[in-house]
Amino acid sequence: MKYAFFLGCLIPAREPNYENSVRKIAPELGIELVEMKGANCCAPFGIQSVDYTSWLALAARNLCIAEQMGLDILTLCNDCYESLLMTNTILKEEKENRDRVNEILADVGLEFKGKTDVKIFSDVLYEDVGLEKLKNAVKEPFNGLRVAVQPGCHLTRPKRIHFGEQMGVTALDELVEAVGARSIAYERKEACCGGPLRGINDEVALHVAKQKLDGVRAAGADCVVSVCPFCYFELDMGQLEIKRHLKEEYNLPVLHLAELLRMAMGMRLEEWEVRAHRIPITEILKVKEAK
Amino acid sequence: MSLLDAHLMREIANTPRGRGVLACIQCGRCTSSCLVARVVEEHNPRKLMEMIILGLRSDVLLGRLPWHCLSCFTCLDRCPQGGDVGEAMFAIRNLAVREGNIPDGIVGQARSLFETGRVVTPSRMALVNREKYGLGKEAVVDVKAVQKILRKTSFDKLIYRGS
Repeated sequence: MKYAFFLGCLIPAREPNYENSVRKIAPELGIELVEMKGANCCAPFGIQSVDYTSWLALAARNLCIAEQMGLDILTLCNDCYESLLMTNTILKEEKENRDRVNEILADVGLEFKGKTDVKIFSDVLYEDVGLEKLKNAVKEPFNGLRVAVQPGCHLTRPKRIHFGEQMGVTALDELVEAVGARSIAYERKEACCGGPLRGINDEVALHVAKQKLDGVRAAGADCVVSVCPFCYFELDMGQLEIKRHLKEEYNLPVLHLAELLRMAMGMRLEEWEVRAHRIPITEILKVKEAK
Repeated sequence: MSLLDAHLMREIANTPRGRGVLACIQCGRCTSSCLVARVVEEHNPRKLMEMIILGLRSDVLLGRLPWHCLSCFTCLDRCPQGGDVGEAMFAIRNLAVREGNIPDGIVGQARSLFETGRVVTPSRMALVNREKYGLGKEAVVDVKAVQKILRKTSFDKLIYRGS
């Protein structure tokens, strides 16, 4: 299984612990990650808000790089996923947009041909690696750890680009349970984390995150497991800000799915990775060591 | 005090992501499923659609109304008309930007993208740490290609206006 690896902006800049865990578990699961030379930002929410054609052209440039590599794209971020998947769908379906974008891309020597697919890490784990292979790689299962899965918005929405499937959330539940944890139900599980408004309207972002955390706490979760770097940031770092500004304290550890899998596969997190979490994850590590 | 603009709805509907405004039947399912509407009283997607239908141009495009939306697409999936309210928000914001209505946070992201090819850039410390952690140097973005694309689409004119 070989993919064009689209790392995006946020992960290498702010969440090297996410990147590291993916790079550590990928070879164990038979996933080969090939770097995309010269790739640019995916053109997320904020950029799409400025100009439609600029968005399509920038996202399409990344798609063209993957096409030239002859590979499908693997992303680690819901926002990158939304931008690239939606652009890929639009340009494959709508000739007028495809022609307009190709006229722009001709200036940088590229042409969108529609020969790549865009996948997010959890889909690759679920569909391409498969639960059996993952279960076989588990050496130290999490016995019954109560996990609140945070799917994030663009794993499943909008339905139109996900071909009407709502598999993403179920897939996450099954992935978490494949390593021995329990994916618990909680209120507003499929709701947004508030992250998109960060830097635009921080107060609203925090209130939205709080709605989510209230649901997680009420369900008695031991931790949150996220697949999106924005959700991770908003729910981990966000807890410190909620404590300061909204006077509510949760102390809910937040893990990347890749970190959960890595620990279950018997690999320890490095000390710097443990420290990268604003809400200490020591309780989770204790659960591991107790076995 | 706003003057009515009879063409506003058509103007939005004629942009690539704005077609959905034509389908709105004012049922309010978008608002009832909106997380932000619970927190921000003035954010009400149904009402925003109504303002577009009525042609309240300056209220729709010149204030803060377009910028409360998370683009979580819950309303888009729930609209019984397939009205794509969440999509229409992008159409509205694209027009608002052309009116000079763009929050500082978005300008920051857009300029960072134009100048570095990324909306989020690593600190010097993060770059040093990457190598220390064995993750290697950060990948190089072809910034020249990014700028060539964004000049051709006149993106730079939208984000460097008045500076």
